[in-house]
Amino acid sequence: MEQVLNLIGEYLGILFLLLCLGLIIFYAIRGRNRPARSLREIAAFTRFRREVGLAVEAGKRLHISLGRGNINDLQGGSAFIGLTILDRCARAASNSDRPPVATSGDGTVTILSQDTLQSTYRSLAAEQRYDPTSARLTGLTPLAYAAGAIPAIHDEQVSASILAGHFGSEIALLTEAGERSHCLTVAGTDSIPAQAVLYAAADEPLLGEELYAGGAYLGANPVHEASLQMQDILRWVLVAAILLGAILRLVGALP
Amino acid sequence: MRKILPIANAIIAVGAGVLVLLGYFLPGIFGSIQSVLIQWAIILAAFALLLGVINLVLVHWKKVSTKQPGNIYSVVLLLSLVLTVIVVSLSGPTGFWSLWIFNTFQVPVEISLLAVLAIVLVYAGARLISRRPKWYTVLFIATALIVLLGSAPLFLLGEFTPLSALRAWLSQVPAMAGARGLLLGVALGTIATGLRILMGLERPYGG
Repeated sequence: MEQVLNLIGEYLGILFLLLCLGLIIFYAIRGRNRPARSLREIAAFTRFRREVGLAVEAGKRLHISLGRGNINDLQGGSAFIGLTILDRCARAASNSDRPPVATSGDGTVTILSQDTLQSTYRSLAAEQRYDPTSARLTGLTPLAYAAGAIPAIHDEQVSASILAGHFGSEIALLTEAGERSHCLTVAGTDSIPAQAVLYAAADEPLLGEELYAGGAYLGANPVHEASLQMQDILRWVLVAAILLGAILRLVGALP
Repeated sequence: MRKILPIANAIIAVGAGVLVLLGYFLPGIFGSIQSVLIQWAIILAAFALLLGVINLVLVHWKKVSTKQPGNIYSVVLLLSLVLTVIVVSLSGPTGFWSLWIFNTFQVPVEISLLAVLAIVLVYAGARLISRRPKWYTVLFIATALIVLLGSAPLFLLGEFTPLSALRAWLSQVPAMAGARGLLLGVALGTIATGLRILMGLERPYGG
């Protein structure tokens, strides 16, 4: 029995990933033949979608900040959501005179954001609209990054700014810049201290896993909805496991 | 070619991602491949940084050449960049003049920004009451004040033990529980994002 438990413990990680993968595939296949599931309202995404439409009509620009996370480590996960949001914004603003501008604090993420913009315009048969300077590296230290991104919000007629990536408390400087420029700031990050700052400083903060729902809420791909369903199920599984662990500990069954 | 290239990109990216992932779970079989791929990624990231700096120069050169408002700051940035590259090339990354530039310009400017950040955070806290006048906003601000007051000795009073104890309880029990809940959500979101990329359904690499 102990050997079996050890074996499970050794491969628990890969088993968990396979479970996640299985659930995503299951819900993606099931979702093909069913009407789209209605998602609970997240005010931040509702306001942002409206603001994207208004920005296109008013000839204003959208700013997408991808943070300073390096994709070679865990912090890069949230930047990928930022890239999905950048793709959606570029598509929505493809008729606008002013294409969206993306800022980041890591060289790799900057190249990926340029690539995202280029492939989005290519898929819309509008590659001539692509400008490599629309995706920028603004600084490599946290404060240098924030200081470099502030002029993009202030000077480029930005009507809405979405901050999606890895940030620290320097994110308050970006939300403040948005406040001063009277533009909507929707912000989400994977960092807990930065989420506390966002709660106080952003117009519409995205807390916890809300940022990762961005693709589903902005209509990126049906698989985003399938991943949301996977996350919902596993969240309840984790809650049950935590409660069970607490009860077992309370009755002395666990050391 | 236009169709083949994105498919080739996707195959390379997904293949490399799967091999690196398997390296964590089956280090005996995939460990060596994983470390080679990670080394390649680090080298590529260094080149990406160089391209990022070139991008920075292009953005600010465009601002200067098109005489956009505030282009004087771009001139200062470009001059500083060129001077720093020259000095660091001659003096070495840990040479006297390189460290002098870092300690004389970079450190004071960043410390000044930190001071601005502190003011911005206080201002944001004060503005929060008018922005979201709800009971949980009051709770948020009251908790922040208790933690702040319990973190250092008070003026004329010294250390106020009940406040310090309350601060310790707040940060170790409810705040820790909340943070772990948020982290679990973030972890699940990160796994979902990683899996979508490994499945090739999300291609942020021009696929």
